[in-house]
Amino acid sequence: MMPKQAADDRGFVESAAAGADGAARAQETAEVEVAASVRALSKSFKKTRVLEDVSFDVGVGEALVLLGASGSGKTTILRIIAGLEQPDSGSVILHGRDVTDLPARERGVGVIFQSYALFPRMTVQENIGYGLRIRGRRRREVKEKVKSLLELVHLEEHRKKYPHQLSGGQQQRVAIARTLAYQPQVLLFDEPFGALDAQTRVRLRREIRALLREVNVPAIFITHDQEEALELGDRIAVLHAGHLEQVGTPEEVYNRPETEYVATFLGAANLLLGVAAGGRVELGTASIEAGAESARFREGQSVKLVFRPEDVHLSLTGALPEGCRRLTNGVIEEKHFVGAYERLTVRLDLVARLPSAGEPPLYEVTINTPETSLGVPIFVTRPKPEVSATALKVGDRVAVCLTAFRVLPNFALASERASRTLDTQK
Amino acid sequence: MSSAIATMRHVRGFDVVKPFSLGMVILLMLPLVLLPLASIFIFGTSKGLGSFWAALTAPEAVFALKLSVVTSFYATLFNVLFGLLAAYVLSRYMFLGRTAIIVIISLPTAIPTAVAGFALLLLWGKYGLIGRFLPPDLQIMFTPYAIILANIFVTFPLAFGVLMSVFETMDRSLEEASATIGATRWQTFWHVTLPSLRGAIVTGALLTFARAIGEFGSTILVSGNLAMSTQTAPLYIFSKFNEGQVEAANAVAIVLALFSFVIFFILFFARDWLEVK
Ligand SMILES: Nc1ncnc2c1ncn2[C@@H]1O[C@H](COP(=O)(O)OP(=O)(O)OP(=O)(O)O)[C@@H](O)[C@H]1O
Ligand SMILES: [Mg+2]
Repeated sequence: MMPKQAADDRGFVESAAAGADGAARAQETAEVEVAASVRALSKSFKKTRVLEDVSFDVGVGEALVLLGASGSGKTTILRIIAGLEQPDSGSVILHGRDVTDLPARERGVGVIFQSYALFPRMTVQENIGYGLRIRGRRRREVKEKVKSLLELVHLEEHRKKYPHQLSGGQQQRVAIARTLAYQPQVLLFDEPFGALDAQTRVRLRREIRALLREVNVPAIFITHDQEEALELGDRIAVLHAGHLEQVGTPEEVYNRPETEYVATFLGAANLLLGVAAGGRVELGTASIEAGAESARFREGQSVKLVFRPEDVHLSLTGALPEGCRRLTNGVIEEKHFVGAYERLTVRLDLVARLPSAGEPPLYEVTINTPETSLGVPIFVTRPKPEVSATALKVGDRVAVCLTAFRVLPNFALASERASRTLDTQK
Repeated sequence: MSSAIATMRHVRGFDVVKPFSLGMVILLMLPLVLLPLASIFIFGTSKGLGSFWAALTAPEAVFALKLSVVTSFYATLFNVLFGLLAAYVLSRYMFLGRTAIIVIISLPTAIPTAVAGFALLLLWGKYGLIGRFLPPDLQIMFTPYAIILANIFVTFPLAFGVLMSVFETMDRSLEEASATIGATRWQTFWHVTLPSLRGAIVTGALLTFARAIGEFGSTILVSGNLAMSTQTAPLYIFSKFNEGQVEAANAVAIVLALFSFVIFFILFFARDWLEVK
């Protein structure tokens, strides 16, 4: 639910006051703003649970992205909202009206199917006018509406063509226009760009965003592409095995992931196993100041330190910038140039605690063995300006600090490896 | 076709198998198919077109052809309408006994037509299981209605099979799209489902018609084979041949053959046109 999400832990960066404030604001406006919502949806096919207690809202004029891996239940949610599938429990509410028991045709939702599902024996204009014709509107009215919709989606010169004579992108616009004709309460897009090449995808999703702003119809997009989700959505709902993991703005889900799955599914993330202790997180031989982040964990609880490769700062001198929290030291093990940034693997000294007196702080922690495979590897990315300011090479010892991170509970078994690095993007 | 040729290109030098196998196929086809068909036309027209025409326009011959066309037409109409209904219901709804119904509907394909005719007689005939309870004016055996009934019995699986396979492979998202747009079930069927079935309907109808117009085994049992009353074209051919009037039989045979040629060519070549995506 929207107010709840806003009220949920705002992360350590923002003050508690700002969080409470945001929650209160959302609470006030939630009643008017919600265009569509699903409540506690559950669904099983045969004996397999496909959806488990899924709830979320879509505000008026808002675009929500349902993001999840293949088979996570995205299409099933969409079909339930559209009335093409019946939930086992839970309800679908459109503009304050419970439509759970209404058949698809009485719900007034627009579905843009992955295959577009244009009627093959109808021309573009017949496809677009279909919703009005079956509603028995007068021919003049249908004609005018179709004309304006053709203009809206820029397909005037294709109006007499049949769907198979159009490109994928054009077909998609016909599909959208076909649903806009009857003023749907909400638009549902099932993997709208799945069938298109990468370049067209990017262009089309900008076009669709612009179009949606113009018509001001709330939309739910389905995708398993995280980049697409970040760009399309006003908010993103991350679905994992039929379970909603987190709902929030792109910034929220990216910067303040609530779960390990969200952290790793949206972009790359380093995960380090640790223990919450006295406002800090202890990671073997190292520890990091966690402040409010660790406040919700009891003393000694097993936690995971989650941070993105771009939130790591490396320093040759040991001098750390303001606001960057020291983690430990490490050795640069690999270095790749990947265009926009530099990508490094750094092996952290997280094994032995041997601070010897008199040494500079950089060497506070050392690995006192020639075995380089000890320690824990993490991924780090450095933007171009930083790369040109300080060049780093393989074998360099560096101090490692984090500009942002999350501390999440560790539900994994104790037998799990001490740490692991996940990178879903590459 | 071209791809088949392309895939054979890798065979180097003179391929002995090709002319041999091709020769075998032609040698088999000639006596089996082409020569008998050709002989109908050669014999039928050997005494000149005048006598052919006279034989064809004999009242009995005209009646037999008309009766065949009319009974086949009604059987076709029935098959298309009820074939659509049956295929729609059986592909859209899952229920207990669904497969059993599909098997039963398709069963007549495997039954010899004479057995089919005999079975109908035993059911609807004067002393049949149901027929014995019917008043005389509702006795349908040995009337044109019996011919239609026999035609339907024998040909329904053809139309049903064609329609069913299209229903089952149809992209359901079209119908779902129509529903979300706000169409009723009937509107969806009329505007979306039916147009996609155009090809299947024509195919099913032509198959039914072609089969029905030549139906012999069941018709001869249930119709009584009365000239100018219940004698269809195939029965006419049979009767005239038995009476030694080969020319009369031949003239009608030519017309029937032409009918099937036309239907066959429509089925063979018009598929693409009917199946435009
Ligand atoms: N009609 C059905 N009958 C049985 N199982 C189904 C049916 N529809 C979906 N499922 C199952 O439900 C699960 C979720 O399916 P769904 O189509 O919602 O996934 P998705 O998130 O859309 O995946 P994708 O990204 O691959 O489209 C899958 O495991 C799928 O096998
Ligand atoms: Mg899907």
